[in-house]
Amino acid sequence: MEKEDQPKSHPAIEYRAVPVVRGKLFDLDARRLRIVTKVMRATQKEFENQDIESNLSEALYTEKRRIRRINQWSPSYLFNIKRHRRDQVLWKEVHQSLLQKSTEADRKEILHSILKVYADEIAGHFDPKVYHFATRFVPWLFSWVLNAASIRRFLPWGMSEALESRLLVTGEVSHIKKLADRGTILILPTHQSNVDNILIGYVIYLMQLPPFAYGAGLNLFTNPVLSYFMSNLGSYTVDRDKVNGIYKSTLKHYSAEILKEGIHSIFYPGGGRSRSGAVESKLKLGLMGTALDAQIQNLQEQKPNSRIFIVPMTTSYHFVLEAPSLIEQYLEDLGRHRFMGTSSEEPPQLIKIMRFFWKLFASEGNITVRMGKPLDVFGNFVDESGKSIGPNGTEIHPEKWLTTRGRLCADPQRDREYTEKLGRRVSDRFYAENTVLSTHLVAFAYFMALRRKFSDLDIFHILRLTREQRTLPRSVLLKVADEFWIKVRDLSNQGEIQLSANLKNGSLQTWVKDGIHHLGRLHEPTALRMDGESVTSDNLGVLYYYRNRLSGYGLSHFGQKGRAKILRGELDEKGFLV
Amino acid sequence: MKKDFWCEATVGVLGGGNWGTVLAALLSQRVDQVRLWDRDEGTSRTINSTRNHPLFEAEFTLAPNVTAMSDPDRFFSGGLKIVFWAIPSSVSRQVARSLCRYFTGEEMLIHATKGVEPVTLRRISKVLKEELPVARVGVVSGPNLAKEIAQKMPASTLVASKFDEVVEAGKAVLHSDLFHVYGSHDLVGVEWAGTLKNVLAIASGATEGAGLGYNARSSLIAKGIEEMIAFGTEMGGEEETFRGLAGIGDVLATCTPLSRNYQVGFHMAQGKSLTDSLQLIGSTAEGVATAKSVAEFARERGIAMPITEAVYDFLEGRVPIQRLFQKCH
Repeated sequence: MEKEDQPKSHPAIEYRAVPVVRGKLFDLDARRLRIVTKVMRATQKEFENQDIESNLSEALYTEKRRIRRINQWSPSYLFNIKRHRRDQVLWKEVHQSLLQKSTEADRKEILHSILKVYADEIAGHFDPKVYHFATRFVPWLFSWVLNAASIRRFLPWGMSEALESRLLVTGEVSHIKKLADRGTILILPTHQSNVDNILIGYVIYLMQLPPFAYGAGLNLFTNPVLSYFMSNLGSYTVDRDKVNGIYKSTLKHYSAEILKEGIHSIFYPGGGRSRSGAVESKLKLGLMGTALDAQIQNLQEQKPNSRIFIVPMTTSYHFVLEAPSLIEQYLEDLGRHRFMGTSSEEPPQLIKIMRFFWKLFASEGNITVRMGKPLDVFGNFVDESGKSIGPNGTEIHPEKWLTTRGRLCADPQRDREYTEKLGRRVSDRFYAENTVLSTHLVAFAYFMALRRKFSDLDIFHILRLTREQRTLPRSVLLKVADEFWIKVRDLSNQGEIQLSANLKNGSLQTWVKDGIHHLGRLHEPTALRMDGESVTSDNLGVLYYYRNRLSGYGLSHFGQKGRAKILRGELDEKGFLV
Repeated sequence: MKKDFWCEATVGVLGGGNWGTVLAALLSQRVDQVRLWDRDEGTSRTINSTRNHPLFEAEFTLAPNVTAMSDPDRFFSGGLKIVFWAIPSSVSRQVARSLCRYFTGEEMLIHATKGVEPVTLRRISKVLKEELPVARVGVVSGPNLAKEIAQKMPASTLVASKFDEVVEAGKAVLHSDLFHVYGSHDLVGVEWAGTLKNVLAIASGATEGAGLGYNARSSLIAKGIEEMIAFGTEMGGEEETFRGLAGIGDVLATCTPLSRNYQVGFHMAQGKSLTDSLQLIGSTAEGVATAKSVAEFARERGIAMPITEAVYDFLEGRVPIQRLFQKCH
């Protein structure tokens, strides 16, 4: 691509001499005890009005099962041995206490001891020194990951130059910066790779926003280095293995409490990483609902700058390190006996891993991060002054939408509906803000061409096609690619998707070449490669992963006859994500 | 006993047609103050002076706590807690746009329009949410022939909304000994049931007009209900809704001579043109636009809707009535 065609970030993004912006998270440690106490009190109150005994026994049952399933020989167990021992002691005690004849007061005490452990485990710490260090270390790390092939770029000035062209931050950057002064921001990102965690934190720093509190999966805390950073940068832990109501509720109260404290936050609304590669369509509403809870309480207390703003955020990668294992898990869950999986069960050889990393470093793909249009807690757009915009230029006053029988109050049924609506809206915005890259469109076109050739076959049979069967003439791929390029551009004109620079301005030949180039370099075996005048894939599963980033837009109508509408995240009759 | 919050509030009805006027009459039994809005100043003046609606018989009288008006400033002044929407589907968007600045977002909005927006096929609750700064929207629908209710004959209806408070509010202000109100969460199903049954009413009127007999009419209704369920569930409604008050209940009431849609079918089967038939009933018939929109939508998506398609062709003068019945098999 020519130099002048180089895609650029939002003008408000500075890559050089970025100042560290202080925020409310900086004195989290001073407020930590008060927050934890409030969380415990709120959760205790919630369960005191319910059947405590059944909630306690549910927690005991699920926790004992969780503890039993922990692999005591894994390195993560050893790193976290203190926590595991503490859990064992706690639940043994709970078990014994529940067996003894207990009064209502005893049960409250048991609940209290559980909440103390949970709230303390969830709540994060923040060390400004670690933050300062991280803001210097992360750019270096990113440059290294993205540019290992060039020695010059290790030099301080080369670093920011490299980042500038390789990490694109687009979307509503200045809008969000303005809102950060007028209320509390909750960023909801799509989630594809563990790299997201570092990337998003770094993008926030580049936007010159104060640091955000992260809701991060407990699995990230198993690595001692990562754990040190995470637990000192305001992260709070989300343990998806703890499935009992008491834990979930404690977590929700913590999230609501820090939002109420005015601490900007982040969590992944889709839960874990997207396994299929598709943009998240089914979001977890439990944590998301805490935005509304915090908003109601802020309005009731008539706090200044009480608004909570939701920012959907999307990331687009030409490669996702974990793509092979994610798609394998997805297809295995979906297909069961119909999915054969890869032939070798043995762990990948070291040489293969090394080769992967080298290719990864030397690749020239950039990462696109898009900050979506900010929303209020109901999913309405918000203008730069923080007002919610209603239809036909009207203004929406959140306190009116939250007034029931003349009183501003919480109403569980109403609030569930609002949160469901917010969930649908955030997912819609994910799709609209998603930046499609050449990699995704080439993968999509290739699958489409294969499906036209073998229209009777379902996904699992397509994945098992022989080399000859899955090899296509380049001209065929180009033709199909052109057809879907037109469709994607139409979607983009309607504001339903974003296009990368070369899909916007490049020629068909250039972007198809670019897409094949990325798909060919990064995975082993290659996801797509040119073979003379033919194109072939040695890794259809991984190719399917990249293809899925374009599912949910109604681009493929295979087997959709007789259906009134196409739903996101659904499969067609041949098992393909529509 | 302390009076319910909703009954102490001022409640408004937008749309001074016959159903809007009957709703105002029903509300006046429960609520202190009822306002009835009609764009046409003449209509509201007539309602205020005669305490009746031009479409009703002499014995119908509006209670003194109902005030008709055409000025929206007056209608919305002081804030309304519940607003009923009784505006035809074809102009709902346009009217909503013109009134959007009066809504505060605190009101519960319940529409009583049995139809969807022509061409786009958007449900009215969706149209209202797209045009007004309100979140809490519901629908009131069921076997409710306006003339019978005006004559104080017993009836029942369904208020549906995703929000419990909308259902509660609707029940509180409408329920009486002669008018039973039930609740549902299936907003989508109730709106589609209320829309699709109008097409069936046209078909039913046509079989009657052509003298095909009760057997033919009953087969048509039974098959038609299955078609409604297939389409409605595909659009996101629940099957149970179509078998209940707002589904079969409304179909049975609408496939009778009191329904305007039925009359259009009847007159056309007797050889009159669509325009003449509509002129004869002197009012709109939602089913005419619905048949066209739904048939075209279903054809495009490959959904089998033989009765709706046949009614559409019949209304367009493409097939005679006898063919309509044959198509149902």
